[in-house]
Amino acid sequence: MTVASAPSRLEARARNLLPWLLLAVLALLPSAGLTANITRLLFVTFVWVTTSLGWNLLGGFAGQVSFGFAVFYGLGAYTAALLIDRGVNPYLSFVFAGVIPAVASIFIGLPTFRLRGPYFAIATIGVSEATRVIMNNLAITGGASGYRIMEQRPFRQVEHYYTALGMAALAVAVSFLIQHSKFGMGLRAIKQDEAAAADLGVNPYAYKLAIHAVAAALTGIAGGVLARYAAFINPQGVFAFQTSVYILLMPVIGGIGTVWGAVLGGVVFGVVEEQLVANFPQIHLLLYGALLILIILLEPDGLAGLLGKLYRRLRTPKRTDGSTHSGSRETDEVLRRAGSG
Amino acid sequence: MTLVDFLNLLIAALLLAGIYAVMSVGMTVIYGVMKIVNLAHAGFMMMGAYFAYELYERLHVDPILAALLAFPFFFLVGIAIHWLLVRWLPHSDRPTLQSLLLMFGLWLVLQNIGYLVWGNTDRSILTPRTLSVIEMGPITISSLRLVVFVAAVGCMAVLEIALSRTWFGRSVRALIQNRYAGRIVGVDDEKTARLTFGMGIAFAGVAGALLATLYSFDPDFGRPFLLRAFVIIVLGGLESVSGVALGALILALVETFSILFLPAAYQPAISFALLVVVLVVLPGGIASLWAKRRRLA
Repeated sequence: MTVASAPSRLEARARNLLPWLLLAVLALLPSAGLTANITRLLFVTFVWVTTSLGWNLLGGFAGQVSFGFAVFYGLGAYTAALLIDRGVNPYLSFVFAGVIPAVASIFIGLPTFRLRGPYFAIATIGVSEATRVIMNNLAITGGASGYRIMEQRPFRQVEHYYTALGMAALAVAVSFLIQHSKFGMGLRAIKQDEAAAADLGVNPYAYKLAIHAVAAALTGIAGGVLARYAAFINPQGVFAFQTSVYILLMPVIGGIGTVWGAVLGGVVFGVVEEQLVANFPQIHLLLYGALLILIILLEPDGLAGLLGKLYRRLRTPKRTDGSTHSGSRETDEVLRRAGSG
Repeated sequence: MTLVDFLNLLIAALLLAGIYAVMSVGMTVIYGVMKIVNLAHAGFMMMGAYFAYELYERLHVDPILAALLAFPFFFLVGIAIHWLLVRWLPHSDRPTLQSLLLMFGLWLVLQNIGYLVWGNTDRSILTPRTLSVIEMGPITISSLRLVVFVAAVGCMAVLEIALSRTWFGRSVRALIQNRYAGRIVGVDDEKTARLTFGMGIAFAGVAGALLATLYSFDPDFGRPFLLRAFVIIVLGGLESVSGVALGALILALVETFSILFLPAAYQPAISFALLVVVLVVLPGGIASLWAKRRRLA
């Protein structure tokens, strides 16, 4: 027993250290000299990772699939844009870019959380459409022609890089804190069976509203950080249905319900998007649609689940000798066939 | 508002309701039998629009005839999609997120195939009939909308007969009521589900082709209509054909008459507002009103 548990304890310690190591590497990268292009790629990836983690809080932890996260992203972007333009400190603006979407999420959640599962999902398509239409016609957003942000400070890319890195780290930390809390357990109970969770003393309505607000705040901050970098936003961009689709696809493809799955989804999306979307926007979404179908049918735990399986398969031979390993693989095969048959 | 204006709007709403019913009923039957919320409905509506467009542009087939041809074509497409993807989903008597996301993935694929093949320019089908009107004194009716309405009502009538008179229809109704009880009394649920899926997709194709004669379209065509279809289904109480017809009528009336007091730019938000109102006031849909009364009687 002690022989078996020693490496696993070591492994657990390594697993706890890994995020800090990753953060340290990412924090030191700019001083190692990054090209402007790579910095931008990492910046965009951090923004996507944050939205992916935000969506995962509601969709992955609580099981409420939303097609409406562009609303929060867009509200965050416009809040930051309007405040920065009026000379407010950008970091204070980001706080408001989190607060305003969180407040909006309550108003959206109050009627839509009366619905369960897919009905909630479709209602959020409606929220997203209605918001885009309204934003397109409001004078304060610059309407359909968009909004240019005039910041009084000079543009420093490294500052944006660290802002986005800090934001992504915050999102990871919030996700882990919620995952390991009583609140997170309540959310998981709601995901599995809402009626049973209610019987056990969890108030599904209040829990969902609360996690919706946290998810909206993270997504809104991401929108604000991106808006400051981009210096130009328009309603068809930030409030687009496609933005909601992106935000949903990342955690689902990466691995719904797990923190690292959501991160992985954001990273893959950010990097692939940079390479593909500029040249072949349609192929980009076509691939994601096909990937989504494959993942739903074959590997519901997403890319993270797939990597986990590969990792376990690579690791198994170290523990057992060859004969039992092949034996267990045959057993696996038989079990799998029995299960599918 | 004069009486003539009122009558014109009322007729416009009625004609709109016909096409709204056809586009919603496909989603309803699939939901009723399989408990799948078919987000790909929008994608198949878009494909139906291009189906009519291609037939008209290349072979000069009348768009209304093309819409009728869309039925068998998309029926087969639906059967193929069911065989390829849908039948692998775990069965459930409640809608699952897995099925929702699968259909969403399918929608993304269809939509972007649309972009690859036809690009993102707006297309429209223009026939001599497009702009002609029938005038009856001060009241004018677009003859094309009238034809579309007749085709739509015809589709609904055929569906109603199929559901009430045939063995297949009886199986469908049994599965809508209770899937397990249906299996116990010998309904072949796999086969019925396959045919239902084909039929639902076929109605999406027909609706798309009919809508293409009225509106311009691009590969993102189905999305606003998907939301409307959902509002109609919720209004109608989710599982009945007559409920769908009623829901379609209500949405069409609200949308048409809202022009009187709301800028046209805000019109797409109406269906959502209506959805919220219904969900807050009547979570079971309009049909729950008389369903309750019937249960009491």
